[in-house]
Amino acid sequence: MYWLTSEQLELLIKKLGEEYKIFGPRHDRVSGEVIFDHLTDLSELDLQAAIPYNPPRFILFPHLEEILKYRYEPETKQARIEQLNLLEPKALIGLRSCDLTGLLCLDRFFLGQEFVDEFYLAHRKKLFIISNTCLRPFPQCFCVCTDSGPAAKEGFDLDLTLAGRGYLVEAGSKKGQALIDEFKLPEAGPEASVLKKKIIDDSVSSFDRWALENKAWISRATNRLTTGFIKPEVWEYIGNQCFECGACSFVCPTCSCFNIEEANQESGETNRLRTWDSCSFEGYTKMAGDNNPRKPVEDRRNKRFFCKLSYSQSKKYLRPGCVGCGRCARVCPGDIGLPNVVTYIRREITGEAGE
Amino acid sequence: MPYYRGICNFCGTGCGHLLRVEGNRVRGVYPLSGHPLSRGRLCVRGWHIHELLQTEDRINQPLIKDQGCFRQVSLETAIDFVARKIKNISGREVAFLGSPRASNEENYLLGKFARSVIKTNNLSLSSDAGQEESARVLLEGCGWPAMTGSLAELRQADFILVVGGDLTKQNPIIASEIHYAHRAGAFLATISPRKTQMARLSQVHLRPRPGTIFYLLQGLARVLADDRKIDLDYLSRFTANSQSFIDGLKLVEIDKVVEITGIEKEQIVRLAGQLAESDSAYAFYPTGVQSLDSRTMAALFNLFLLAGKIGRRGSGLNPVTGVSNLLGSYDLGVSPVFLPGYAAVTDEQAWEKLENFWRVRLDRWPGRNVDACLSDQEAIKALFIVDHDEEIIRHVNRINQLDLVVYFGAYHNSFASLADVIFPRTSYVEGDGTYTNSERRVQLAQKKIDPPAGVRPLWEILTALARALGHNWNYHSAEDIMSEISQLVPYYSGLTYEKLTTRLGLKWPCDDLHPEGTDCLLAEDAGRRFQFIPAGWPGQSLAYDQEIQKDFPFKLVVGRSNYFWHQNSVMKRTFIPKREYNALLLLYPRGFVEISEEDARRLGLREKQLVRVVAESAEVRLAVRISRDILSGMLYIPYFIDEMIPEFLHRQVVDLEKNEEFFLPVRLEKVG
Repeated sequence: MYWLTSEQLELLIKKLGEEYKIFGPRHDRVSGEVIFDHLTDLSELDLQAAIPYNPPRFILFPHLEEILKYRYEPETKQARIEQLNLLEPKALIGLRSCDLTGLLCLDRFFLGQEFVDEFYLAHRKKLFIISNTCLRPFPQCFCVCTDSGPAAKEGFDLDLTLAGRGYLVEAGSKKGQALIDEFKLPEAGPEASVLKKKIIDDSVSSFDRWALENKAWISRATNRLTTGFIKPEVWEYIGNQCFECGACSFVCPTCSCFNIEEANQESGETNRLRTWDSCSFEGYTKMAGDNNPRKPVEDRRNKRFFCKLSYSQSKKYLRPGCVGCGRCARVCPGDIGLPNVVTYIRREITGEAGE
Repeated sequence: MPYYRGICNFCGTGCGHLLRVEGNRVRGVYPLSGHPLSRGRLCVRGWHIHELLQTEDRINQPLIKDQGCFRQVSLETAIDFVARKIKNISGREVAFLGSPRASNEENYLLGKFARSVIKTNNLSLSSDAGQEESARVLLEGCGWPAMTGSLAELRQADFILVVGGDLTKQNPIIASEIHYAHRAGAFLATISPRKTQMARLSQVHLRPRPGTIFYLLQGLARVLADDRKIDLDYLSRFTANSQSFIDGLKLVEIDKVVEITGIEKEQIVRLAGQLAESDSAYAFYPTGVQSLDSRTMAALFNLFLLAGKIGRRGSGLNPVTGVSNLLGSYDLGVSPVFLPGYAAVTDEQAWEKLENFWRVRLDRWPGRNVDACLSDQEAIKALFIVDHDEEIIRHVNRINQLDLVVYFGAYHNSFASLADVIFPRTSYVEGDGTYTNSERRVQLAQKKIDPPAGVRPLWEILTALARALGHNWNYHSAEDIMSEISQLVPYYSGLTYEKLTTRLGLKWPCDDLHPEGTDCLLAEDAGRRFQFIPAGWPGQSLAYDQEIQKDFPFKLVVGRSNYFWHQNSVMKRTFIPKREYNALLLLYPRGFVEISEEDARRLGLREKQLVRVVAESAEVRLAVRISRDILSGMLYIPYFIDEMIPEFLHRQVVDLEKNEEFFLPVRLEKVG
């Protein structure tokens, strides 16, 4: 573990900026919203800012992305295909551990299975990640229930923990270590890991005080979902409140579903686009010949939470599909974010009266 | 910094969003968590607004039609062409169709161009008669033509009544606020013949027969008056004619209400009691396509006034606009009946004020809306249209006969091809402009990307046209126009771009007394007493009703849906919402008519079976869709024109789209 002053951190980020496009949390001046954004002005970076309203997945998996272009040429009777690869080195600064965990879930989906997604890979290849320990949770957080915080365990190049006036720094990769060596950062000494552990412990024990919006008894819900013993009425109650906007999927750090569209251009070219998609839409599961295995909205809701919490899914990701960031609860017009759904499932288990 | 703060431009909720810009293109959208109304939420449409902005259907060059084909011309040539043509047409023979999706500045300037340069008062939006009725009712009743309550305090409400429409589809985020208020403890009731999602989320759903909401509201008022559950002190201090209204209620017989509406007396009494006992109460109704008729709006106003819920903090009557800037368009006088700031066209003083302000003589001759102008074979020779969709295409034959059709638009659509001259205009992300949402919140959306080369904002084109017609207009920015608006329109007098740049909107009235805008109407500040609006008790129409029922036993109503929003010309340019729309079309390629389970069983109709829907003057073949959401005796067709409802609704739509309380008497016949 190393020691880094705030001034050195600024220099370090500036240095990274020579090679990487810098992304990090900034405030929107008028609304106060914290946005994880491409920073053209590094002075806007605020590592102390609350968890950003948007997860960083748009950087690797954009809302809408042209992935290839093709054009049929009638004269030669040939089609010309052009793959669009953006190999832009990007540095994500100040990632919260929930968001880093989400990114690792996306990695397992796009890279860790039978097929490797080249477009995701192109974004992922040249990435520098600096994670940032949460000294205390924010109101919507429940990462302690999903084993994804408040400090990062893996997947970073550098990991920061604010301690007094400077940061405790850990390297998680050769790239990260090289930067530490380049800046000749001083070793923080043996007591540093004790200090870091205390900081994390304090953060965990302050959840009862700060993180009051959500609680999610994930393991009980996982058990219940996996065995499939949830009554249809519970799903109906949840489905009735679904506005079918797709927001829960769009704000989820681990949601990976996408749609492919071919958009014809006036120039005669066709662009193949990849866009975010959501299991809350009826057209998402619709098959040829009128069949839709998940037509009613409650079946679609059921699918989402099965995907996030069931044991079989957890096996694929080696963890629950939820990272405890609480975004789906804040963005949901129907107030059926994951924590509430887990509450309804739990109520069924404990027999507590519903609303 | 590729995320830019902005305002969603779909419905009248006006949610805050962030648009992600890459290069010069909008590539993504994200909700704005700090927005005072949307609080970090967007609906399915809002989450896909960037897809709409990818479209290649842009109009990039001014076009003039030459022997049936469009020819690209310079802006100067197009302006010259229009100026030359219009000089030979008298002002009264010209009509203007504004767009409820254009900004306040654009709408104001369009109105000024129509009235002061062309000298016509044929100036309107198209199908949003509900908004005009709503403004008239509220002006008469309390002098405030929009939401009297505040959405900011909704979550503390005790009682919420939603009347008509389908709010979770039309204005999902306002519906979401209602849902959150309900979850926080408010009693939520819905009055609607259809079982909408809002109805499912409500504790009480009263389902009066189509066209009878008025009677139900009158019945509720009668119960309030009878049970003396009224605040006499409030009525004597703040209202002008409460006694004559209460006397008039004696004509309303509860037994008759029960007979007409099909709602049990007990339910009426209980709901009236809930309203009376509540401290903080709100009512919502949509304006626009699925609106109520004016007498139903008046009855709702009277009910809330009787209950003492108008002009008090924490209560109010809240009309909800369906399109982004529908309210702003009316605020700035894009209407044949209102001048900017809701001055009546019958008010001579208002005309004189306008003449002095614009320094030009104006013609007081009463104008008409575009439908009236086009339905009359002789009325007009020229038509100016801003960004319109397919909805006025039913007048295609008449439009083809006109001498001059001028279209200002950002995108090609089937309507644009009817024009003689097309001016490309910037889209809403390519320039500055303010938009006024349902809660009177005026919000500034700033320019995010550059327009295609040569494409100008509407205000710039109108300025050039006015100058070509000899008027010395000098506007150099949208901000210039807002500062003119603030001098003319009292509600907007305290608004400046400087203020709006640093705030997430200000709710009008924004003036010297309320420099930070106004949350809700307060009786003490209203400057007048509130009026009950005589609504009467038209019992005689019932006999007529029964006569028609013999031949046409079903009541057909039309409504909106998430994905078929705005005649589809908007949704068709997206990817995901378009897919959802097509998913349904695949199931019912000929379109569908919804019928209750009970009626389907009685008539022996199966799902997807073809039927003929026969009205007095037209008929159509549609597939049956059996629905649990509608009442027996009722039929329902979602409102999306081109693909699903070809001839039939085109003919009936003028009446049908007026309001939800309107229904078409029809019968069903099996095919083959």
